[in-house]
Amino acid sequence: MSAAGLSTKNAPSPMVVLPHYALGTIAFIIASVLLFFAAGDLTASHIGPRVLSIVHILILGWVSMIIFGALYQLIPVVMEIKLYSEGLAYASLVTLAIGTIMMAWGFWESYIAPTVIKHIGGTFLILSMLFFVYNVLMSAKKTTNKTIENKFIVTSAFWLLATVLFGIFILFNVSYGWTNKSSIDLLKVHALMGIVGWFMLLIIGVASTLMPMFFIAHQLNKKYLERSYILVNVGLVAGILLLYFFPNTSWASIFGLPILIGMGMFFKYNLSAYKKRLRKKLDIGMKLSVLAFIVFVASIILGISTLIVSDIYPEFNSRVYLAFGASLLFGFFTILILGQMYKTLPFIVWLQKYQDKVGKFTIPLPSDLYSEKIADAHYYTVIPAIFTLILGLLISQEIVIQIAAIFFVITSLLYAYNTFMIILHKENATPLKKPEFKK
Amino acid sequence: MRDTSNLSKEENNILQIIKTVIDPEVAVNIVDLGLIYNVTLYEENKHIHILMTLSARGCPVGDTIMQHVEVAVKSFWTDYEVEVELTWEPQWNPEMITDEGKAALG
Repeated sequence: MSAAGLSTKNAPSPMVVLPHYALGTIAFIIASVLLFFAAGDLTASHIGPRVLSIVHILILGWVSMIIFGALYQLIPVVMEIKLYSEGLAYASLVTLAIGTIMMAWGFWESYIAPTVIKHIGGTFLILSMLFFVYNVLMSAKKTTNKTIENKFIVTSAFWLLATVLFGIFILFNVSYGWTNKSSIDLLKVHALMGIVGWFMLLIIGVASTLMPMFFIAHQLNKKYLERSYILVNVGLVAGILLLYFFPNTSWASIFGLPILIGMGMFFKYNLSAYKKRLRKKLDIGMKLSVLAFIVFVASIILGISTLIVSDIYPEFNSRVYLAFGASLLFGFFTILILGQMYKTLPFIVWLQKYQDKVGKFTIPLPSDLYSEKIADAHYYTVIPAIFTLILGLLISQEIVIQIAAIFFVITSLLYAYNTFMIILHKENATPLKKPEFKK
Repeated sequence: MRDTSNLSKEENNILQIIKTVIDPEVAVNIVDLGLIYNVTLYEENKHIHILMTLSARGCPVGDTIMQHVEVAVKSFWTDYEVEVELTWEPQWNPEMITDEGKAALG
């Protein structure tokens, strides 16, 4: 066999990747349960202590955890190289898990007051992000595959670093008073860097690689992605400067416009992949991914609303911000992860168990490693979950948010069932019977 | 490989065996996906050469598929040396999928 530069040869050990999926899933269940108990807080303010705790569990424990794991697996696919260091990947996993627990605990207990637990947790997170960023950048250095998708991924790593450093700056600023700006205003800069700079750019890069590949769609216009890259980054830099220096002026939110147009370009690119797809019949992973993009349209609309309401109906500010944030975190990012789990995890385990058995044994397909019925079931529970949550936040009703939380808990448990069914899959191979064949 | 008219009967048999190799992602055999570019059997030095591609660069299951082709062919042509070569030229495109493959993709 002559196969230079193939990804399976570059793939890291499954033992690096699988714990990320397991821990991330547990964080998703915890965040869903906490959402139920924090429903009252969510009707009060978009930056209350319990809200911040859930946001950190979701962002760090769920989305970042899965993204770290998936990226360690996908970097070889996207960049056609071997991961720089598996040791660093382990180190980032452990520090991320410890840091997330400490931060979430710290916020749940005591808002943004400087506590030892948050300082130590924050330090763990800094270390985790540094390990991750260094690993990604050193891997990217080796690649000759300089596509626009890779540019998104590498740039997102820089924004991640900036997000963490700025978050720590906020925490220490409370103790040492380096600047007299309020933590609330600084938090907006932190959130912008994290959600748009880190998540959005990364997801644009990864989704724009994977979606056309899974759809089997060719000849797509990458100009949309190039424009999206410029627009989102320009909007980000402008947003950081405006929010830092002119925090309480209504026109400062104008930076959101290029970001939203950039997000729209990314949407258009993936829409054309969907339209040009050869695989008309979508499997559960792609059905969930398409659903994520439908929710993404709601995010863009809510994003535009945040720009408008701050001027016209300032009293609704908090509600729209919460609904926008939830539509991204519990909506687009979460549902995309639910879908892409089915496109990645079964393959990782399948390759580990059956790579050497193809052609010699009767073996299951990757899609046989999980229950399709359970996956279908959480497809139908996550739809009412997210739309009820957005509604509950917009009308600021605790009971509606609690109903959404119940749907999320069910979704997370069903999803966990399948995730662990895949991770704990026992090898099932029987020797192949040769078919009758006349030479 | 849409046109198989230049293949010998034996090479066609090899192609039929390669048809048992399924792309685990799309659950369609790789011959109908158009991933096999050529099959050549050299009787004089007992050598079988299979030229193939993958639908995407960096396909995560690429070398498993290639290994599957090699094992499947080798299990019938036990006296032969089987060589599976990967090429990106010409680049795979959807036109290469057979009508059966398109139907299977749904």
